Amino acid sequence: MKTEEATLARLAAMAQRGDRQAYRVLLGECQSWLKGYFRRRIAPHHLDDLVQETLLSLHRKLGSYDPARPFLPWLAAISRYRWVDHMRRLYRDDGEAIEGDVPADPEEPAIAARLSLERLFTYLPQAQARVIELVKVEGLSIREASRASGQSESLVKVNIHRGLKKLAAMIEKE
Amino acid sequence: MNAMRTDTENLISGLVDELQPVRPLRFRRGLGLAVAAMALAVVLVVTLGGIRPDLAAGRPDPMFLVASGLFLLLGLAAAVTVVVMGSPRVGNAHDGWRWAAAMAGLLPLAAMLLALGDFHAAWIASEPAHGAYCAAYSIGLGLLTGAVLVLWLRRGAPTSPGRAGLLTGVAAGCAGVFAFSFACPFDSIMHIGLWHALAVVVSALAGWLVVPRLVRW
Repeated sequence: MKTEEATLARLAAMAQRGDRQAYRVLLGECQSWLKGYFRRRIAPHHLDDLVQETLLSLHRKLGSYDPARPFLPWLAAISRYRWVDHMRRLYRDDGEAIEGDVPADPEEPAIAARLSLERLFTYLPQAQARVIELVKVEGLSIREASRASGQSESLVKVNIHRGLKKLAAMIEKE
Repeated sequence: MNAMRTDTENLISGLVDELQPVRPLRFRRGLGLAVAAMALAVVLVVTLGGIRPDLAAGRPDPMFLVASGLFLLLGLAAAVTVVVMGSPRVGNAHDGWRWAAAMAGLLPLAAMLLALGDFHAAWIASEPAHGAYCAAYSIGLGLLTGAVLVLWLRRGAPTSPGRAGLLTGVAAGCAGVFAFSFACPFDSIMHIGLWHALAVVVSALAGWLVVPRLVRW
């Protein structure tokens, strides 16, 4: 992890100086990292869109990375911002459910856990986290989520709204 | 799936082709720019508006020192937070300015408590004829610092545009009040607690309403 972090930080600093070769390697590494990062928190057919949107943001905001600091916490903040934005824009489509539950990586290092999206959910009240998962991640309708969670339909909507607002305010939280 | 992979690879190739050298945001530079904008506002006030007699005589009023010091500290704390927000990272905390806000908040709080006894006398003591000028000039002078911080945020990637806007407004308002204090001859707690604090509140509200639209990405 330390090697990966140091390598990415070095590549990002080189990219900021205009080194295209380093930038290509950096973007390739980030693409793989982002796929793993988002996989369990977005419907599979939105995964590539979200990865591409985040790579675009990385490109536009490359200057906001301070090369004196670690790279992954910066990338995680950019990724969380894009993810929350994506969830807000996401309209429910039928068949968005994740097929099967993707198990957590048992060897996920502690630092990765602190940067993860799962970490953000732990700060939400259970009722809000549950309906966001059901509607925005698994793709259930409001009515289906209401049945699954035992909350009224209006409460599901309120909890999604409040939960996403809270998530947006906690993007840099460990 | 292969097609999507190709899309992402194409995107990466496009981004690589577009790459231009970019100057990274450095904390020291951001803070330096904000402080320079604050200093420029002071210079403008002193050269165009003149300096308070007690300052010119080298014997500043204690209330001037305390009040302008509190506004300066809050302005700096808010500016530091805004600069940090430009370079996001998981693990950043943005709470330090709250303590400075609590301390500076004692000024309007003290004015309110004193006004409870005799509202009319408190209103007269606040120098209402000059108060609106104080607030308006302070807000205007704060625009310098506000503009610098907005430009910084636009280059950066603030993940909480609303909070960044609010703090930009607080920093701008405090910078304006601090600068205008060098010319404002009124030292009563009623004047400072009402009109000077009002300038910060109005700036903060304006920042909260306007800045997020300018810095969202």
